[in-house]
Amino acid sequence: MPTPRNEALLTVAGLNVAYGRNNVVHNVGFSLDRGGSLALIGESGSGKSTIAKAILRLLPSGSSAGGSVRFDGTEVLAVPERQFRPLRGRKLGFIPQDPGSALNPVRTIGAQAQEAAALLGPAGADERREAVLRVFGQVGLPDPRRVYDSYPHQLSGGMLQRVLIALTVLPRPALVVADEPTSALDVTVQKLILDMLADLRQELDISLLLITHDLAIAAERTDSLVVLKDGAVQESGSSREVFAAPATEYSRSLQADVPALNPDRYRSQRTASSALTEPAAPQIEVAGVTKRFRTGKKFFLALDKVSFTVERGRTHALVGESGSGKTTAVRLLLGLDQPDDGGILVGGQPTAGLSRAALRDVRRHLQLVYQNPFTSLDPSWRVGRIIREPLDRFQVGHKAGRAALVVEALEAVGLPAETLRRRPAELSGGQRQRVAIARALVVRPDVVVLDEPTSALDVSVQAGILELLARLQRGLGLTYLFVSHDLALVRQVADTVSVLRRGQVVEQGTVDQVFSRPEHPYTQALLAAIPGAGPVQQPVKAAS
Amino acid sequence: MTNTYGRFALVRTGQAVVVVLLAYILTFLVISVLPGDAITNSLRDPQHGLSEADIQRIVAYYGLDQPVLVQLVLSLGRFLTGQLGFSLQSNLPVAQLVGDALPSTLTLAFTAFVIALVFAVAIAYGAHYAPGRWAGVLRSIPSFFLSVPNFVIGLVLIELFAFRLHSFTTTDPNSAAATLFAAITLAIPVSAPLAEVLLASLDHESRQDYAQVARSRGLTEAALFARHLVKPSALPSVAMIALIVGELLGGSVITETIFGRDGIGTVVQKAVTGEDQPVLQAVVAISAVVFVAVNLAADLLTPLLDPRVKINETVDA
Repeated sequence: MPTPRNEALLTVAGLNVAYGRNNVVHNVGFSLDRGGSLALIGESGSGKSTIAKAILRLLPSGSSAGGSVRFDGTEVLAVPERQFRPLRGRKLGFIPQDPGSALNPVRTIGAQAQEAAALLGPAGADERREAVLRVFGQVGLPDPRRVYDSYPHQLSGGMLQRVLIALTVLPRPALVVADEPTSALDVTVQKLILDMLADLRQELDISLLLITHDLAIAAERTDSLVVLKDGAVQESGSSREVFAAPATEYSRSLQADVPALNPDRYRSQRTASSALTEPAAPQIEVAGVTKRFRTGKKFFLALDKVSFTVERGRTHALVGESGSGKTTAVRLLLGLDQPDDGGILVGGQPTAGLSRAALRDVRRHLQLVYQNPFTSLDPSWRVGRIIREPLDRFQVGHKAGRAALVVEALEAVGLPAETLRRRPAELSGGQRQRVAIARALVVRPDVVVLDEPTSALDVSVQAGILELLARLQRGLGLTYLFVSHDLALVRQVADTVSVLRRGQVVEQGTVDQVFSRPEHPYTQALLAAIPGAGPVQQPVKAAS
Repeated sequence: MTNTYGRFALVRTGQAVVVVLLAYILTFLVISVLPGDAITNSLRDPQHGLSEADIQRIVAYYGLDQPVLVQLVLSLGRFLTGQLGFSLQSNLPVAQLVGDALPSTLTLAFTAFVIALVFAVAIAYGAHYAPGRWAGVLRSIPSFFLSVPNFVIGLVLIELFAFRLHSFTTTDPNSAAATLFAAITLAIPVSAPLAEVLLASLDHESRQDYAQVARSRGLTEAALFARHLVKPSALPSVAMIALIVGELLGGSVITETIFGRDGIGTVVQKAVTGEDQPVLQAVVAISAVVFVAVNLAADLLTPLLDPRVKINETVDA
């Protein structure tokens, strides 16, 4: 039976969750009113997803939950599955994190949509199909019929997330639990999806429990929030208040680490490089570079006459969304691919059309730090060997000298010497990325390409890495090419920026120019999509 | 899709034919480089009681007085037109020898295949869904099945069901009951790797986000299994089919011997001991055809089961 209007829709009290003997959620409590929205905020390991799973009764076997989760008059943790099942989907919806894996890859969207539509009650397959097509239109999917007949891999991430949201809201549940619904999406898509979700909530009177690591999104999109750390509540309250004046040390550091809120955070560390007012010698010169790829009989223009220059000791950012050509540009710069047209000079040397030996020489001065530190380090090697590998490859010095260089590089990235004997699996994401940076720096390069170096990391870990990169740049006079889709981050770390869209540079200039006076509509859209760009001024969307 | 798929099927079938031809040529060359001239040696064995004229006729038929390459072309041409030659031991056409033995072996292998499939699905499903202790027991079954040799299983089954329980008699090895137990003997070791692969992919798929999402819509575990998990979990097993058929063919030789059945196993055994080259060549060629055909079927099936498989890439690869 539904609760009376004045009772909270969802009340969590004294919730404890353990995986085996390992207690990961400690005495967590909060409540969410009917029609309201609440965010659970925390970094990886904070227990936020575990709490969501406990509410949905989707905890894996081998885990145990204690305490109370009361949803719409039902004690979720106590009732048998037979009594809980009617609530699933109909009253309690779930939007998962990664839309790419949330739909069965070998069944059509339509076949899976039929399952969601079946929750509406008895109706023929045709009527269900009509309902599905209607809701697909409602979430802004172009050509619902084509989507219905597609397989998941034929749609983009943003479209898949629209499909999932559509299927979740179709039975008009009272509560939707959304677990990082946009963290796998481009920033402009993220804004569209969150806007759409907000409209739907208002229209259909749906409450929202949002799981996120992004304080700015939480503040912008929910009424109240709960900050979690290591499975326990740090603080909770109205989003606006917590965001404006965090009470605990942890919330303050979370807020300080949001790139959008502190554009000048690394300015002081970077002054040495930025203070060079007279133009320095160009270190990277990319001129009129074009690259085509062939798919079947069609040609796809990945880069279209792209040009940019990076001065020695500066940071240039390449900004764009998936498919903008960022990765192709990096591959060409590193000499992994050859451009069809145009020229690339690094330190005055071309990287295209070189012999293997000459390319090796260029590469020594041109190092790359990959996006994902969880896959870019050989899991069977110890850290010492990982960092020493480039020294061995380039035959730098003698053996004892190399060992000293490895230790030096490790110290430079702020890791203790004992890390040498560890394997990547024993390190955290931030430590791994520090190892990757040490590996790039150990051969004393002039240019380092940073390919989304922090996108796989928590926001507080990201801050540490960015600080490190700024310090190293000043100390060693490095030139950075910083590839990112995150404009807020770019404003913090870069001196100059090129905005890429579909293989073309649509806007270029110093960070100050581009951010304060964006000229191209695409840049303006990207800037407007940054969460937290002004949430305190903006009225927080009131509950319906 | 259909047009691309048709092209893909055509290319793959063409490749399969090439593989069969290469296998035939390789076997022919291997047998012909064996020390001594196997055919003429065995022809001159007094036991055959062949006259000099008979021998001359056979030598002329196989082209034994000509270079190896000419013999190969002769043999290959006959193979392609369906002539498999004559057994040196019995003088019967090889096609007849194999044709008589094949139905028995195919019945055994096919029954065993079905049983192995049932065992594997039952073990995987049971081990995945059984509570606590039972899951542990069921999970250990595949490694147990693998570690017991085929002939031990056969002997135990004969001892138990033929001699003690009289479920079948060993004097009539081709009866339905005897065939069933022979098939079980053959199926047990074959079902083990299949069960392991099925279980591993079932475990994997049931942890995927899409399974969680389906659960969050109120699907029962049974509905989740039938609608969502069966197809993706079966995909890795389809790739294993060729391996399984190999085990079935190899295992049937042993099983036929234990149960006293006449089949391809017996034919091969006699041909090897009697250096009966035409029979060996034919059996290898037929095995190659079976192998390649099953592989081809698995290849053609995969794009139909898994929409993510890009046919273009598969053809180029």
